[in-house]
Amino acid sequence: MKISIIKPGLLSTVQDMGRYRYLSQAVPVSGAMDELAHRIANKAVGNNDNDATIEFTYANASFKAETPILISYSGDGAFLIHDDELMPAEKPLFFSAGSVIRLINNPVGVRTYLAVAGGWDVPDVMESKSTYLTAGFGGFKGRELQKADVLVSRTILNEVSNKILNQLIERSLTYPNWRISRERLLPEKRQKIRVVLANEICWFDATSILSFLTSNYIIDLRSNRMGYHLAGKPLVKKVKKELLSTAVTPGTIQVTGSGDLVILMADCQTTGGYPRIAHVAAVDLPLCAQLKPGDMIQFSEISRDEAEELYLEREHDLSLITMAISLKYI
Amino acid sequence: MNKQKRYLGTNIPLKIYVLSEKSVTITFGTEIDNDLLDLITDFNQLLLQNPFPGLITTVPAYTTLTVFYNPLNVILSDLPGEVCLEKVSAHLNKIAEINRKESEVMDDHLVIPVCYGGDFGYDLLTVARHNNLCESEVIDMHTAGYYTVFMIGFVPGFAYMGGMDNRLSTPRREVPAAKIPAGSVGIAGNQTGIYPLETPGGWQIIGRTPLKMFDVNRAQPSLLKGGDRVSFKAIDQDEFNTYMGV
Repeated sequence: MKISIIKPGLLSTVQDMGRYRYLSQAVPVSGAMDELAHRIANKAVGNNDNDATIEFTYANASFKAETPILISYSGDGAFLIHDDELMPAEKPLFFSAGSVIRLINNPVGVRTYLAVAGGWDVPDVMESKSTYLTAGFGGFKGRELQKADVLVSRTILNEVSNKILNQLIERSLTYPNWRISRERLLPEKRQKIRVVLANEICWFDATSILSFLTSNYIIDLRSNRMGYHLAGKPLVKKVKKELLSTAVTPGTIQVTGSGDLVILMADCQTTGGYPRIAHVAAVDLPLCAQLKPGDMIQFSEISRDEAEELYLEREHDLSLITMAISLKYI
Repeated sequence: MNKQKRYLGTNIPLKIYVLSEKSVTITFGTEIDNDLLDLITDFNQLLLQNPFPGLITTVPAYTTLTVFYNPLNVILSDLPGEVCLEKVSAHLNKIAEINRKESEVMDDHLVIPVCYGGDFGYDLLTVARHNNLCESEVIDMHTAGYYTVFMIGFVPGFAYMGGMDNRLSTPRREVPAAKIPAGSVGIAGNQTGIYPLETPGGWQIIGRTPLKMFDVNRAQPSLLKGGDRVSFKAIDQDEFNTYMGV
């Protein structure tokens, strides 16, 4: 399966679930910002969760099927349109060669993931297909997608992907009647970000901690795949200590020298020297991935064990989805 | 490469905190110190040789070692404990016990060629003036040092190295440079480091190495790793070109 990029949009990169094994060499995790949407897009075409997808930022992008294609999309940055018809998200979509698919704006969020049956075929760099733009490696030639780029899928499909494809072709359908419900996995109040307090919490005065957990923060313009700066009441350190650089990870919330908050995201550095006040619960990191400048959020505290419990539940739910799709076809 | 025998460890349980649902950090101390770094390096090697189910990777830093894992594998393992923190801590404390006995650790020592001054080391004069030295004294003192890689951080392959002669200590530039060429050797405070990629940066640049500090095509892309010992050797422009294959 093959597509060509007609319009790449603001920032489109190939991503998988990240590059974890080279952190000690300061190679960032990278990978899909919204890992949940990435995984659901993959599941919908029968792929493995770690297969490469294209991460689109906002809309204003389009591509053409150069061969018949089986794709799916998930995320909150865009809707897919074919022949002026809205294509449903989170289910397999079949298009014949020559079809042109456009992304139009979804006001809810930022990032949308496009999966293809078999996964996008780009070379593994350090055991991952994720793009890391700063150093120019991984993904599609180490760079963001451009007009006229041609992307192909891996040719060997697994049994589920094959059966989805054959069923749609046999019945001349664009998509089946089932879909994955991503909303069901996400909390209702999406502006409420659950956090676990971090190691340097006691470096801050009580008023600052209280304000961190009760006031509103606005996503600043200085926000990208590395992290989001937040506008809000600055926090005050009560100790004069400086932190010696130590490992940080996507979801870590750092407090800069001026007392401002920064949520680290997929392309963040592997180490940092700012004190950490909290980390975003892993299950709510996909919500952060869809935040855009101007959005308002609040933090709410949960315990370390609760965060782990939520994570394990989410993983369980995701494995049930894979199982349900397999059972439908095999 | 030299083999060393070291005696390590204390009887105190490790100080461990949760960094995320997928990682914990062990704090070994509070100050930058060579002995502490050796302890972290040894512990890291022992852990990687004796992994627990679900271990993905580790990140050593000045006083900490962070351990990344897959929580599903950890929870399903038969390590004692109810939650990941307990299970991983149990294993890490077991590693610390091995650590209390004698351990054999390999030390890597690398010599890095550097072409000092000129266009490659445009801040050499700044460093010299700041410390009331002449440029050749800076080069002599920098090449006389025996350095330890404290941590790889900032960008892929960037090594923060300690052990520099204090008389070379120079603060960072007030305004960071927008572009520092790959291979640039710099000084910031008491540390020295090498920029593996062209990036913005604030270190005072005294020279450039022709070596590729980070190369995705190598089995270990980063030339240096935490705990490595490093020294520098001065080369001239011709030798630099020979290295580069010019």
